Amino acid sequence: MPAVRSRPGPPVPELPLRIVAIAAGGSLGTLARYGVDRALAQGGPGFPWATLAVNVTGSFILGLVVTLTTGRWERARFVRPFAVIGFCGGFTTFSTMMVEIAQHGQHGRVGTAAVYLAASLVGGPAAVVVGMALANGRILPLPGDRSIPDPDDLGLLYPDPDPDPDRGPDRDPANDPDVDPDRVTR
Amino acid sequence: MIIAGVAAAGALGAVLRHLVDRLVQRRIRSGIPLGILLVNLSGSLTLGVLVASGLRHGIPTAWVTVAGTGLIGSYTTFSTFAFDTVRLAEADRRAVSLLNVVVSIAAGVGAAAAGLALGSLG
Repeated sequence: MPAVRSRPGPPVPELPLRIVAIAAGGSLGTLARYGVDRALAQGGPGFPWATLAVNVTGSFILGLVVTLTTGRWERARFVRPFAVIGFCGGFTTFSTMMVEIAQHGQHGRVGTAAVYLAASLVGGPAAVVVGMALANGRILPLPGDRSIPDPDDLGLLYPDPDPDPDRGPDRDPANDPDVDPDRVTR
Repeated sequence: MIIAGVAAAGALGAVLRHLVDRLVQRRIRSGIPLGILLVNLSGSLTLGVLVASGLRHGIPTAWVTVAGTGLIGSYTTFSTFAFDTVRLAEADRRAVSLLNVVVSIAAGVGAAAAGLALGSLG
């Protein structure tokens, strides 16, 4: 995505792995859009609520995730390909919006086309800004140190086998804080 | 069956978008995000052709849904377009941001209308 090149972000995975992440996210995003489409479809020349809804919601998610991966999840290599390029890209759609505007215009519903276009052009970028602000803690200040666990950090799941390299393997269990639960000093 | 088709087409569309975007961005250095612009314009034209010829020739709805909603819908993207608009404006490149919006919308609606006209011909 060209949008993220100007700012430092997480390292980019190799192309084959990136393709897998994009395909998985794109598949989920497209299914979600299809679901919203089915749920909100009116089956007539009504206002295209479904496309407007996915485009504004997807823009919000993109602003949120891009900001989180820039500031905090620096090592989350697969979050951007999966969530941003894959999910948000597949969830939102430009071509459907263009065809809907052209069709409304061709059938003389210029007002509907204009309102739809204006709502998308204001709502999309505004949703990006809200998503970015939320991720930066400007809307709902997060309590504590505001650090969000790195989802790719396997250290959270698998504790360091040897936390102190200076301590030999034949340490005294009586003086070991790891053994005595009353003497946890770390 | 349609759901499986939409899921597979959506995966393909997203990967295709990434590859086209990368190819364009690598070759042409430009202030405007040309890769996504090319993706969105070519997708709008193709979807116009598909929708119009689908109606004219009575192509089964399942096929139009998989190709249109699945493949082309996922190939084109609005969220990156919206993000680029904000990113360029925040980087004090408001003219480029506005130019990208105007070109994307004007050429996008034009491409979709041309596609609809083309598709209802043949």
